[in-house]
Order: sequence, then C-alpha cells, then structure tokens
Amino acid sequence: MRRAATAAAVTAAALACATLAGCGTSGSGGGRAELSVSAAYMPQPVSDTMAAGFLTITNKGDARDELTSVTSDAAGDVTLHETAGGTMKQAERLTVPAHGRLVFRSGGGHLMFEGLKRRPRQGQTVAVTLHFAASGPVTVEVPVRSATYTPTTGH
Amino acid sequence: MRKKTFAAALLVAAASITLSACGSGESGSSPVSVVSGNTSKEAATVLDQPFAKPDLVLTDTHGRKFDLRKETAGRPTLIYFGYTHCPDECPLTMSNIAVAKKALPQAERDKLRVVFVTTDPQRDTPAELGKWLDGIDPQFIGLTGDFAAIQKAARSVGISVEPTTKDRNGKLVSVHGTQVVAFSPKTDGGYLLYGEETTADDYTRDLPKIVKGETP
Repeated sequence: MRRAATAAAVTAAALACATLAGCGTSGSGGGRAELSVSAAYMPQPVSDTMAAGFLTITNKGDARDELTSVTSDAAGDVTLHETAGGTMKQAERLTVPAHGRLVFRSGGGHLMFEGLKRRPRQGQTVAVTLHFAASGPVTVEVPVRSATYTPTTGH
Repeated sequence: MRKKTFAAALLVAAASITLSACGSGESGSSPVSVVSGNTSKEAATVLDQPFAKPDLVLTDTHGRKFDLRKETAGRPTLIYFGYTHCPDECPLTMSNIAVAKKALPQAERDKLRVVFVTTDPQRDTPAELGKWLDGIDPQFIGLTGDFAAIQKAARSVGISVEPTTKDRNGKLVSVHGTQVVAFSPKTDGGYLLYGEETTADDYTRDLPKIVKGETP
C-alpha cells in the first residue's frame, strides 16, 4: 500500500517535471535547441466559440528554448494554458528544456483557441504556428479528432 | 451525533480523492474506511457510504425552476460541476458520457438523468448553457443559479469549486469539479465517483450497471 503510494507520487513528480518544464533545464553549453512537434490533435469543439489543442514539443538539442506565442489562421487568438486542480491559468511563455519536452495534454495544459473563424470538424486539420524565443517558427497541421479522443486509446 | 462525525470523515476522504484525481500526487492517507473495490483497473470509485443527493433548486436551460431531488428521484443520475468556457475537461467529460449513453437501449437512455451544474453562473445563463449542452446531448440537463448554493451542493458531495475570478490580464478564470458523481435509481444515493481520467469506454462499460443501480 505504502509502496504503491510512493510509486504514484514519484510518477506524478516525473510527469510534473516533463510537463511543467524548467525542471533540469539550463546546463546548455552554448548548443542550440532542436525542436520537433508530435502528438498534435484538437478535439472537435462543442461550440464555435472556443477549442482546445494538444501537442508535444520535443527538444533534442543542448540548449533550452521558450514557446513565446502561438498563431493560427483558424482562430483570432491562441493562448497557452496550464491547468492545476481544476483551475486554468494562462501562461505568457513556457520553457522547452534541453533534451526535454513541453507537453500539452488533456488535464494538464492546452492551447486555447478563441475567436474561431469556423467550427473545426472531425477529419479537418487546423494550421497552427508555434513561435519560439530562439528557434524559428514551426507550423503544424493539427488534425481535428472526435470530442472524446484520447491519445492513449486512440479514439 | 455519531452520524455527523462519520459524515465529516467521509468529506475528508472525498477531498483526498479529489486531490489525487488532479494528479497533485502525495496524499498517502488512503481513505480505506470509506472506499472499497477501487483498483487501478476500475474507473469507478465505490463509496461504502453513499452521498445524499444535494438538496438543490436551480434554474434549468429553459429558464424553469428545477428541484434536483424531486426531478431525479428514482432515476439513475450523473452529476458534474463545470462551466461552458472550459475548453478541455468539461466538454470532454460530458462528451464521454454522451457517447456512453448512446450505447444504452432507448428506454434506459430516457431514464438516465445527466446533470451539468455550472460553476460559472454569471456567464452560463440558461440560454448559454442550453446552447452548449445541445452541442453534446440535448437530453442533458443544465442548471444555473446562485453560486453559493451551487458551491454548497458541490461540497456536500466532496467536490470543491470556487467562484469565477479575474486574472492579471482581466480574463475570467473559472473552476470545475474533478469528478462525476453517479446516483443510484434504487437508493438515490451517490455511490460512485469518476475522476477526470475516465474515458468514454469506461462510461460505456459502467452505464448499463448504473442505470440498474448496480455496482460496476
């Protein structure tokens, strides 16, 4: 029982580390960030007013970088959000640690799309451009999945 | 008197479940006396001592007075506390339930009551709530009204919510509950809790039991 609890706590800590960024960053010996984006999806939103997007930014480089803003032709405004205990908090910029990841996943953090120009439907894609402090912008075609899609079950 | 003590213990236990549901780790004190049958494979947390259904009278999406206990008496009922300006958990939770409900036979679908109580009554007017829920399942019931009454009802089933506040940028920040409570049609007691990780598949598996008041 105790061991299970401890293991869970350790796992949680590890996840928090991966998600929250900043843990074990720095250490950059003058290298540069090498960014890639994976696991991107947008659950089909309920309304035409807002949507959430999820993705993972992986940094294989020796230097950290920062996600400073996100733009999309589908939305008037895209903001970065972290969720903790049911409360959503907007973040100005988020760190992508060297040899680490910045993860937006359901229940953790998300990209919030507001001022939608159209309601994204399952099967479509939404073009999203990520802007960084050091690296050049990265544009991703984010697939719109079902409203109940989860990466773990895949549907 | 004894009853009161027990209720307090139950609240504490529920609070710790709530915390673990949002992954804030820790809380090594597992509420052994209250919870049973919750293994990592089961989506539902089974309460040995069920919650009473909140005594809550609010306004539904048609602008009519809705007495929760009266309207859902003898019905399998799922209750969730959330808000419509919530892009992630709230629509996901309600959509998961909507998908699971579709798998039920028609007669059981009609018996089931799914109640979405807003934690953001200022923005979630009856009309706004109705529009949002229609996009998920038109049979779902949306309730809005006095926040203090909503918060008290949420607390009575171990769910902590706070009023909407403004952040530094002047944006409104609301809080949703982290659990769905399932009430039995046999006892009207809230006997199951579902956390945020619960998937559409989990609900699809459990709903046929819930509509019969059975333990999944």
